[in-house]
Amino acid sequence: MLQQGRVFVHPRRLTAVAIALVAIFVVLSVRLWDLQVVHGGYYRSLAEENRIVRIPILPDRGVIYDRSGKLLARNDPGFAVSVIPVDLPQDREADVASRLSAVIGRSVDDITKAIDEQRTRNPYEPVKLTERPIARDVALLLMERSELYPGVNVSADALRSYPDPMLYSPILGYVGDINAEELAAHRNDGYLLQDTIGKTGLEWEYEKYLRGTLGWRTVERDAAQRELGTLSVVPPTPGDDLVLTVDDRLQRLLSYELTKGVQEGKWTAAAGVAEDPQNGEILALVSVPSYDNNAFITGVTQSQMNAWNSDPRHPLVNHVIGDMYPPGSTFKLVTGLSALSTGVATRHTVIDVNSMVLTVDGFNFYDWRAHGPLDFIGGFANSSDIYFYTLGGGNPNTGFKGAGPEALAKYARMLGFGAPTGIDLPGEASGIIPDPEWKMARFGEPWTIGNTYQESIGQGYVAVTPLQLLNAYSAVANGGTLYRPHLLKEVKTADGKVVYRPGPQVIRKLDVNPADLELIREGGRRAVTIYHAYMPDSKLPFAGKTGTAEFGLSQGTDALGRRELAFHNWFVSWVPQQYNYDPTARISMAIFLYDSSKSLCDVCLNPAVGITQRVIETYEGVSKADANVP
Amino acid sequence: MSVRPIAIPVAASPLHDRPTERRLLSFDWILLTSTLLLVAYGVVVGYSTAMEDRASGADVGEQVLRAILYAVIGLSVMTVVALVDHAWLGTFSPFLYVMTLVLLAMVLVIGHSTLGATRWVSIAGFRFQPSEFAKVFMVIVLAKWFADHEARSVLGLAGALALIAVPVALVYRQPDLGTSIVFLGMFFGIALVAGARPWHLTALLAAGAAAVPLLYGHLQAYQQSRLTAFLNPYADPRGAGWNIIQSLIAVGSGSLTGKGLTAGTQSPLGYLPISQSDFVFAGLAEDLGFVGAMILFVLYLVLLLSVLRVAHRSRDAFGAYLAGGVAALLGFQIVVNVGMAISLMPVTGVPLPFISQGGSSLISICLALGALQSICTHQEVTSAVSSSSAAARGS
Repeated sequence: MLQQGRVFVHPRRLTAVAIALVAIFVVLSVRLWDLQVVHGGYYRSLAEENRIVRIPILPDRGVIYDRSGKLLARNDPGFAVSVIPVDLPQDREADVASRLSAVIGRSVDDITKAIDEQRTRNPYEPVKLTERPIARDVALLLMERSELYPGVNVSADALRSYPDPMLYSPILGYVGDINAEELAAHRNDGYLLQDTIGKTGLEWEYEKYLRGTLGWRTVERDAAQRELGTLSVVPPTPGDDLVLTVDDRLQRLLSYELTKGVQEGKWTAAAGVAEDPQNGEILALVSVPSYDNNAFITGVTQSQMNAWNSDPRHPLVNHVIGDMYPPGSTFKLVTGLSALSTGVATRHTVIDVNSMVLTVDGFNFYDWRAHGPLDFIGGFANSSDIYFYTLGGGNPNTGFKGAGPEALAKYARMLGFGAPTGIDLPGEASGIIPDPEWKMARFGEPWTIGNTYQESIGQGYVAVTPLQLLNAYSAVANGGTLYRPHLLKEVKTADGKVVYRPGPQVIRKLDVNPADLELIREGGRRAVTIYHAYMPDSKLPFAGKTGTAEFGLSQGTDALGRRELAFHNWFVSWVPQQYNYDPTARISMAIFLYDSSKSLCDVCLNPAVGITQRVIETYEGVSKADANVP
Repeated sequence: MSVRPIAIPVAASPLHDRPTERRLLSFDWILLTSTLLLVAYGVVVGYSTAMEDRASGADVGEQVLRAILYAVIGLSVMTVVALVDHAWLGTFSPFLYVMTLVLLAMVLVIGHSTLGATRWVSIAGFRFQPSEFAKVFMVIVLAKWFADHEARSVLGLAGALALIAVPVALVYRQPDLGTSIVFLGMFFGIALVAGARPWHLTALLAAGAAAVPLLYGHLQAYQQSRLTAFLNPYADPRGAGWNIIQSLIAVGSGSLTGKGLTAGTQSPLGYLPISQSDFVFAGLAEDLGFVGAMILFVLYLVLLLSVLRVAHRSRDAFGAYLAGGVAALLGFQIVVNVGMAISLMPVTGVPLPFISQGGSSLISICLALGALQSICTHQEVTSAVSSSSAAARGS
């Protein structure tokens, strides 16, 4: 085919192609100029960083002591197991995986999968196989028989340990592997993916002290993470140690008594808390049943978790702060103080309780007995319900005007009810202090005098935490200062230097007449001296208020197989320095026994009173300890 | 049938009978010089990257010897092809086309896999990459097609498109997205030089652009992530963006004069992936800096402009289109490879002419450049052709 009559190439097109090529090279050159000459220094430093990496060294977590130096949380040396796939011959992988499976308690499939994934991703980089640290003997086994475990590395990895798990888990909580949310929240605090972090309790609350500061090892390495050499080391700063206000001796005594009752079936659950009323230091905090917080360190099984979650007693909840209960007669503190402060009552307000029933508007309101005429001290000491119905809600039959629900709510809140106390623990409940407004908002119903009566004796809608109750009575016992209860006495560095000491923190001074508080203290003392709170042969000037809070049907049955009205027992107490009513107490204690009606005794002595006497007398050294106390 | 439009009338011209030596001396010495310098540059860079990659355990001496061997083979092939009348290649074009298809089909059937793609075949102990030869063969096939068919007509253009479609599909199946794109780029280059109507080409480009979303959905996940990674490599710095970021660091850290031959750090520490082939430019820019890259660019530009000059000097359509196609092929590969290393283009596996290590690429390019020299040495009727072509334009 002849192409003669055809122009087979346009010079203009060739020129266009040439110009396009030149233009393209100009663009490439400009880009290169920008990368290499303008930003050359920047990329040079990036290339340096590529070679030199900083590898974090995790700090030792701070330990936790009680106020006298007993160790409550420590770090046991533990070990992590990892595998470098390139050092593990493929034909031995199955064999090694099955051996490791037996030793570290992970399934063969899991281990094989982890190694194989790493083999394709980066066979030079170790893959950590242990989710949690393993014990020393296991690590030694692996190291001694290293010929059986090619490519397997064992490295240090501390293990948090709690010597008294059941006793302290409600206070200390536990640590665990950091999760994605926590990591995001702490990204700027130097947390890493392999970090542990406090999950609850003081471990959570004081994470910032306990954690310490990461150290760094600067190493040169290649892209396959092979280390070529260490260039420098910045050692980690260990976390600070916590010294708690808790006294292990008191904690043990209290826990022993409360736990024994649960074991003997006298009550299903219990909470006990003691503090120094003069500064808010918590001396003991016991919640029974509790849980084994060591289990969270070594790994909680699903069945264990299910068991805890399905237990109606909620062992994972700290009952001292995390749950709320009707306070029963202990709430007469609020009713009494409201009546005194509003002028409704004085020490000499006498009400003749000549019947067990007060009938108002056709409804019957009962007392536990017909007391006869009672003044304020007598009414408080004998815990007369009708006396306090009258002080709280008045008596339409006699024309006596009570303090009223608004005053009750006001003084309850002043005493710290209805709001968290602010203790240094997570998961604190607010409790409920009802008033007419609250009831209308909640139930859409108007307040009745019956509501006031019920509130006056701590029943009905009122709900408090044991800690709120204790703290309110502590404010009475110290003469009118509401302190923020706290568990932390001080924070010390590993070499003993105190870096933080919270000290007493005043929530508020009670806006009441100090004489009225003295009346309450006298009433509390009278309850003990008249044996309403039965403390035979007591060797200390105890004062306190009992409470019996009804809550429906008991789990227990009486001799005839009837289920009785169920109740919880309370006893809140304080111990002045002398046999007088001065605000000098250095210890106050609240004990709450859940469903103590289980025992269905005939002469129902409030068991919380006896516990208080035994625990505090032993603690103060005036009685001999029960030989069984651990 | 002849590819020399006015060969017969001048057959008796005294010029036609000039001695072979003198004919051979009419080769394009600028093209030859730049070719030789680029081949040498490739050997030097190959030595440097081999030294830097010695941690991988490969024998440096063996790699350098291999690079030199490929250079010798390539230059020999170039010489042989240069001595032969380039018209021969056109005559062989149907055979070359079938061979292209067979080679590419072979890859799919018996090819070796590296990094998830199958691009190699072994024949008699030699591993080679058929798609490299396929590129050059397809330049010849298309040049021949446009020499015989009017590129301005729809049929001529559509025929060429049909020719290229089959190898593109086969290469795409490997999967080798980069080579597919190079094929298409080369097609547009030849069509442009061959005089296809601008609006035809524009329409084709528009159709191609319209098909992009469809094709994108059809791509493998790794190809998709490579394509998107270049837009923002820092979105997944340890994944899809890793290669790009490390390549940028290598290039940028080379600064003005580079770290020196064999002194680069990105490649020996394993940060720079496939530093001897796809990302070879990054290694070169790290070692030799902006200056070294500019020397390379100048050599490339001289080479490409010489190739275009050959197209201009060619006295026959086949030769002109062949030269245009070679310019497009080389230019496209350079832009795609360098653009990838400096994050102006998505990451695709296209070798950098002369610099990427591997015999297939170098030998096939040498083959093409030999054909161009042949165009220069086999046009003995300069004046007559000029007058005739002027006459043709005038008519």
